[in-house]
Amino acid sequence: MNSILRYTGAFVLLVVLQLLIFNNIEFSGYVNPYVYVMFILILPVSIPSWILLLLGFLTGFVIDIFTGTMGVHTFATVLAGFVRPWVLSLNVTAEVAEGDMSPSSSRSGLRWFFIYTVTVVLVHHLALFFVELFSLKHFFHTLLRVLLSTAVTTFFILLFDFIRPHR
Amino acid sequence: MRSLLNFLLRFKTLILFLVLEAVALVMISTSHNYHQTVFYGLSRNISGFVARRLERGTYYFRLRSVNEELVKENTLLRRRLEGLTAMPAEGFSGVHDTISGVNYTYLNARVISNSVNKQKNFITLDRGSKHGVHVGMGVASPSGVVGVVVGVSPNYSVVMSLLNTDFRLSASIARNDYFGSLAWDGINYRYAKLSEIPHHVTVSEGDTIVTSGYSAIFPAGLMAGTLTGDQNRGGDFISLEVMLSVDFKKLTDVYVIGNLTRDERETLEEEVVK
Repeated sequence: MNSILRYTGAFVLLVVLQLLIFNNIEFSGYVNPYVYVMFILILPVSIPSWILLLLGFLTGFVIDIFTGTMGVHTFATVLAGFVRPWVLSLNVTAEVAEGDMSPSSSRSGLRWFFIYTVTVVLVHHLALFFVELFSLKHFFHTLLRVLLSTAVTTFFILLFDFIRPHR
Repeated sequence: MRSLLNFLLRFKTLILFLVLEAVALVMISTSHNYHQTVFYGLSRNISGFVARRLERGTYYFRLRSVNEELVKENTLLRRRLEGLTAMPAEGFSGVHDTISGVNYTYLNARVISNSVNKQKNFITLDRGSKHGVHVGMGVASPSGVVGVVVGVSPNYSVVMSLLNTDFRLSASIARNDYFGSLAWDGINYRYAKLSEIPHHVTVSEGDTIVTSGYSAIFPAGLMAGTLTGDQNRGGDFISLEVMLSVDFKKLTDVYVIGNLTRDERETLEEEVVK
């Protein structure tokens, strides 16, 4: 029960931060960090994948409602929830694999958490930017936006992971 | 047996995944009715309220550039006024009618939420139906065309920005009056493309692009941008690169443009076309 409360708190905090701060960050129209994906990243390792998918849907849907981009964030975040178990199992370590703990750098090392974060964020951003465009018209330009935004999002997620309370 | 069960469980996840993604895609493909979305009406009011609070803080820091822009516009208006007062009275009678010929009204508004980084950018204004804003009204800033109102709530309105790949503006080259369609290609927020200009038209770098006035939304001659000299010849028409006169990243104060005779004009046009 306690952990449900904590994750609900994290959800609200990340969505509010995204809407109030990160949606207003636009370096030269190229870089848009979407830090709310962190919610998908920090859910417990043992969470059933169908719950993960539903939570991905919910997260994306809430962001879509508030930014008026119906479906785009939903699509990308469900995909992020779908690939997360695979990314976890791809470079699983003994410490990570067990129990209902949340993936973090303090538990599994910065290097591991970095690779995990970059991979999921990259998948999410690729889906987000290309679905928003709905064509491959400006492929390399969009790819550049994806890569730059992934870098910035990852930076902020690592930063937040560093300062969030660990138990 | 166990592995079969595992396999099915995994399959279940895949099915759920596909269903959810399908729902998302349906949402995307039906989102053209942007302003009709039920939820968006609600969220517009909430996020409009929050954005307004935020904007109050950041507006202070932009006062300097806002002032400069207003002074520039004042100068322009003063010059135009000079030209008008010098004009001899026209018409048959000597009656001085200040209302005839007035087609457009202007309502000032403040931008409280804006973006330039999406493919479909929208702007939120702090004026709504309470202040007389309707869907379909044009929006301009002191430096030029900004967009068209697509959604209205009592206190706020949402504007489809010129920086929206769905937006089309009937615009003409001020020097020779050839008109085409101005649209954003989704790449750089400072540039748009003017297409459907015939081959034989000679253009040069720096030519002014203004609204044509062929739609009832904007008055003719409203500034939209200048030609950069880049052009794309192909097919029957050329498309020209236009540097937009409005810097959408610095947008703060705008005008909502109401057309007083719009209904009359559209009814007439519809009647005739039918």
